[in-house]
Amino acid sequence: MYKIATTQLWVTDQDEALAFYTRKLGMEVRSDVTLPEMGGFRWLTVGPVGQPDIAIVLMAIPGPPVMDEATADDVRALVAKGFAGTVFLTTEDCQAEYEALSARGVEFVEKPQQQPYGIDCGFRDPSGNHLRLTQITMPGV
Amino acid sequence: MDSRYAERLTVADVARAAGLGRAQFSREFKRAFGESPHVYLLTRRLERAAAMLRFTDRSVAEICMSVGLESIGSFTTSFTRTYGVSPTVYRAKFPPASTFAHVPGCVVRFYGRPRHQTFREDGGGART
Repeated sequence: MYKIATTQLWVTDQDEALAFYTRKLGMEVRSDVTLPEMGGFRWLTVGPVGQPDIAIVLMAIPGPPVMDEATADDVRALVAKGFAGTVFLTTEDCQAEYEALSARGVEFVEKPQQQPYGIDCGFRDPSGNHLRLTQITMPGV
Repeated sequence: MDSRYAERLTVADVARAAGLGRAQFSREFKRAFGESPHVYLLTRRLERAAAMLRFTDRSVAEICMSVGLESIGSFTTSFTRTYGVSPTVYRAKFPPASTFAHVPGCVVRFYGRPRHQTFREDGGGART
């Protein structure tokens, strides 16, 4: 038997991403370890306060030898476009959360909109990743 | 308080957010939660510090700052009073944070030492 533990997002700068996810989005650091013997690989995870059983790993786009330069460029381009994967967040009050996060400098690409399942908006992180923030109003969804 | 403890939050700030005077807020909080807001806030910060000591490689000073405390001296005193040992000693009681780094296989392959190697890939002997 297994569980989902961590979901992953590519980031172009881990320090910048960390500041965004903790100070602007209010998540907490779960782990932050740099391994010099692994080419300086840094395992950096964050997660929402009150949801300890899942985290997001903010993974630096590697270069050679782990990832060849051409592939790394492809990944960077996809991340900048917001197509390199996303995380869906839910909230009890989309409008309030949208206002609070906007006030903290989060860049929203879509303001709260009514959807069949609830109220949904979208924002970007500094690397370009596109995240959704949704208030579910349809029961059982 | 649960999510914004890392900011320079004081009980006065929280009381103001609740629309109450500080003394009244403290009384009501204690009645509702069984401990004063100051203790609650400090405990939350120390819990976060303990987690960061175990799961990050940040210095004690960095951890102190990142949980919203300014004085390393009083952080160390409070931590020791709550956990029985100093932050440094507490950290040493657990496996190093690097143990919990889920280094992906593709990274390990290039940098890690292979274990239980039973064939000679580069002409070298088996390594443990």
